[in-house]
Amino acid sequence: MTTALWRDSGLAVTQAKDIREPRMDLQADVVVVGSGAGGAVVAYELARRGKRVLVLEAGPYVPSRDFSERFPEAMEQLYQDHGSQTNRSGDLLILQGACVGGSTVVNAGVCFRTPDFILRDWQRDFGLTGLTRDSMRPYFERVEKHLGVHENGEHEIAAHARLIRAGANKLGWSVKPFQRNIRDCALTGHCLSGCKTERKQSMLVSYLPWAVAHGTRIFADTRVTGILTDNGRATGVRAQVTGSDGEPVASVTVTAPRVVLAAGAVQTPLLLLRSGLANGSDQVGRHFACHPSLYVSARYPQPVHAWRGAMLGVYVDEFMAPEDGGFVLEDGGAGIVELSMTAEPGTGAPFMDFMEETRYLAGLVTLIHDHNVGRVRWDGDNKVIDYQLDDIDFPSMKNALKAAARLHLAAGAEQVHVPTSEPLVIRREADIDPMVEGLENQPHHLRMVSYHPQGSCRMGADPATSVVAESGETHEVPGLYIADASLLPTSIIVNPQITVYALATRIAEAIAASA
Amino acid sequence: MTQQYSAPSGPEWLQQGLARRRFLKWTLVASAGMTAAAAGGFLWLRRSPLDQQRIPDWAGELSAQEFLLLDRCRRVLLPTEGRDLPDTETVPVVANVQRTLSLMAPALRQQLSQGLGLFDNAAVFRHGCRFVDLDDETAWDYFDRWGRGLVLQRTLATVIKQLLYSAYWRDERTWPALQFDGPVSDRWGLAYLGNAPMPEEQGNVPTGGPE
Repeated sequence: MTTALWRDSGLAVTQAKDIREPRMDLQADVVVVGSGAGGAVVAYELARRGKRVLVLEAGPYVPSRDFSERFPEAMEQLYQDHGSQTNRSGDLLILQGACVGGSTVVNAGVCFRTPDFILRDWQRDFGLTGLTRDSMRPYFERVEKHLGVHENGEHEIAAHARLIRAGANKLGWSVKPFQRNIRDCALTGHCLSGCKTERKQSMLVSYLPWAVAHGTRIFADTRVTGILTDNGRATGVRAQVTGSDGEPVASVTVTAPRVVLAAGAVQTPLLLLRSGLANGSDQVGRHFACHPSLYVSARYPQPVHAWRGAMLGVYVDEFMAPEDGGFVLEDGGAGIVELSMTAEPGTGAPFMDFMEETRYLAGLVTLIHDHNVGRVRWDGDNKVIDYQLDDIDFPSMKNALKAAARLHLAAGAEQVHVPTSEPLVIRREADIDPMVEGLENQPHHLRMVSYHPQGSCRMGADPATSVVAESGETHEVPGLYIADASLLPTSIIVNPQITVYALATRIAEAIAASA
Repeated sequence: MTQQYSAPSGPEWLQQGLARRRFLKWTLVASAGMTAAAAGGFLWLRRSPLDQQRIPDWAGELSAQEFLLLDRCRRVLLPTEGRDLPDTETVPVVANVQRTLSLMAPALRQQLSQGLGLFDNAAVFRHGCRFVDLDDETAWDYFDRWGRGLVLQRTLATVIKQLLYSAYWRDERTWPALQFDGPVSDRWGLAYLGNAPMPEEQGNVPTGGPE
């Protein structure tokens, strides 16, 4: 067992600028690909058990003090493809963190346990009999305790959230404060640009420093390009270190008997496909889901300043169960750049009028329990994310939109902006159904964003229909594990970070037991 | 119940009446002929007095046509006259767009370049000149019609707007008029809390792992 040396701030990370030799050969007990929700937890859980762990992260290391609290700059600095990752048709922005700490650095800190009905689906449809509410409880409790997860206090319910809560109460809908992994929230509203003063308990300030204290080494700017095997068993990875100027700095080979992929639901399947591994059943990259979301903004008679206060305060779970609609509504703060994208008030003067009144806007984010209809694949050297909102999911999307409009109007909104490519405004209850029913499921009609890519290497008992077993180990390659949102067999309707943390804890335990 | 017969619409009827290979051949020949005839006229119409304009040195990563289009869109999409907002001569809108484009993956950047060209040139067919030469009223209407149009039209109208909007509103000079606060942590003097304290572990908890 190593002696833990904890730093009270910052993180020891080897970056491209620190590397002098063009080739490095490294050894470890476990090499982890990716440093987000899954990779950081696996690294810590194994390092504290005395394993020699290496974490390779393709993105840069950006210390909290360098966060600018300017969303467009954060997109360029911290997000995958500088914030421009989309599906193939370009009508769905798929946001993922691409930095040390991954998406945990740029999310809004929302923590949901996996809903029971989802776990039951997994047990029934995928043979994941070990994933019951009772068996998962210790894992949820552990990560929630480590990350200081707690319910928003009243001071963390911002003006925009209070409006949403009032509207839900008026309609008699169930509305609850979010649980978040925040310590002493400073109410800056800049969660999506990274928490500059280290209050959000992202992997950057929690599991990664703890893992390093137990001897884990982290390499940033280091993209894994292939998984190595010997006699069908994982033996390590090869990687490329690239400088901030895009120039290659060094090639790296890591020899390790355990390889854990935690690069996220887009990069993990791409790496497997490029390596030609674990895909005998042609399941890698398939069954991608992403909670396609709408931001439904509405104009209120009084100033709201949706950028002030905690970004996410309350959510409406009235419709969460599939039989009740299969969607969740989350109140959502936003800055002016984000708000400029949410509605289409018309070109020129109408748009400028709209922007001059942004302080009167409040917004609701819709999350739907989408079916896993997408696919992640290569087209030559270009990654492709095939995903279009399926006709089977379109009714859920419309119902979520109707509920959001109804809630805004109940809360006193004067205008609800339907997030479409053409100007559509709902001003009264009677307009909701005809206007929303008139929408068509066409590309680039709805303005959708995905914050939760998941499910491209799904977990299941049957190797013919899944990529990894319940232990996280791939069915086909001993020693090769997956510990990120790609293994979720279905979309989980809620923000997935706690689910990934809990599953990663469990998978780390399985790895430790197997070594 | 009787079923009323109606003839299929044009292209469908043509395809039903011709063998597939023959149809393709005829289509190719006809298209080539029309293209050749139209090309001269199209090239004549797509000429713009703006083409003589010198492109600024800082815009080196944009083609001349891209610069002209984005610069025209800046004025069309962000009219600031009579408002308490900085004008777009002051805010480096096109330079900001150029920076965003420079970060795009090469394949996406190439597709966007083609799209921008299409958006500009397609105005010739309806208005007899490129988008960059449309007056404001016509340009606003052009954007609104494309927003209600076919998939490709909706895509381009939305993407161009979002590029320009982001490029303008990211500039802090636009914030006071909207009462937007921008970055606050340094201004408020917020303390850094540092890393989370190490957990106190008791053995290899939790238990009841994978079966």
